[in-house]
Amino acid sequence: MANINKVGFNLGQKIANPFKTSRNSTTNPFKYSNFEGNTLQFEYADVFEGSKHSANNSKLKMITSSVAGSMTKLRSSITEPIVNFVNRVREGISSAWDYAKNTNVSDLAGIKTINKVMNADILDIGKGIGNSISGMGKGIAEKMAFLNTDVTDIGKGLSTKWNSLISKVHANKINKDTTVAELKAMWEAEIAASEAKEVA
Amino acid sequence: MNKNVAEIIDALAAHQDHASIEVLEELGTNSPDNEVREYTSRALVRKNVHDSLKIVIINQGKGINDLSPSVAMSTINEILSLKDKSEVIKILDDTINMHSDEGVKENARSVKSLLALS
Repeated sequence: MANINKVGFNLGQKIANPFKTSRNSTTNPFKYSNFEGNTLQFEYADVFEGSKHSANNSKLKMITSSVAGSMTKLRSSITEPIVNFVNRVREGISSAWDYAKNTNVSDLAGIKTINKVMNADILDIGKGIGNSISGMGKGIAEKMAFLNTDVTDIGKGLSTKWNSLISKVHANKINKDTTVAELKAMWEAEIAASEAKEVA
Repeated sequence: MNKNVAEIIDALAAHQDHASIEVLEELGTNSPDNEVREYTSRALVRKNVHDSLKIVIINQGKGINDLSPSVAMSTINEILSLKDKSEVIKILDDTINMHSDEGVKENARSVKSLLALS
């Protein structure tokens, strides 16, 4: 390779301007065609070494033969199970077809149990939903009744307390028209309340 | 003093019957609260009748004879502020002349002196 570079370097120097001779005084345009005696020898070009061709060919043959052998082995190992598989599928399909053709759907194993469970569950679910709805309705009605009763009681209580408050306010209104007995009773009540406060 | 009690005393003072005087004497002059006793005594004086004035003049520990100086002085001031003092003077004279307790007599004499000076 170093020799090639050396030769190239020399060639570059000599062939840098091949038309220069026409302009110069030199009249021979083929003056540098002979590389001034530096002819390229065969021994410097390693790409043309004939001794290495035989080794590459042998390697290629080895690889080719190995690949062909692997493919042969692969084919021999796959073809037999595929056949068996296809045969089994064909037999299975035929048997399944016969079974399906000769068997009632209702007689299938487990279908009766499934039907029983599903029917029972659906019935129970439906009954449960119905009971829940009716129970909700009853509960709402009962709660509304209680609410009405409570509201009525609250209204009654409010009216009673309001009336008592009004009567108390009217009763507490002290004027000249209040009798002496009422005034005495009110005074005694005030004394009792003050005594209760002192005791507390 | 409670506002309700004051209103009750005022309402009883406005009444003309004898029952109101009895209530004032029973509940007011016997109250342990000095303010209630003071307010009640003034209400009895404002009635300016024999029965009400007698309570605050001749009874020991009530009206002008009360152990609380504020109650006694308030009662005396209310007596001095009366327009018609004829009934008060009559009762004070009877007390000075006929009452058995000297302390009550002395207080009645002092009040009569104050009435004479006013």
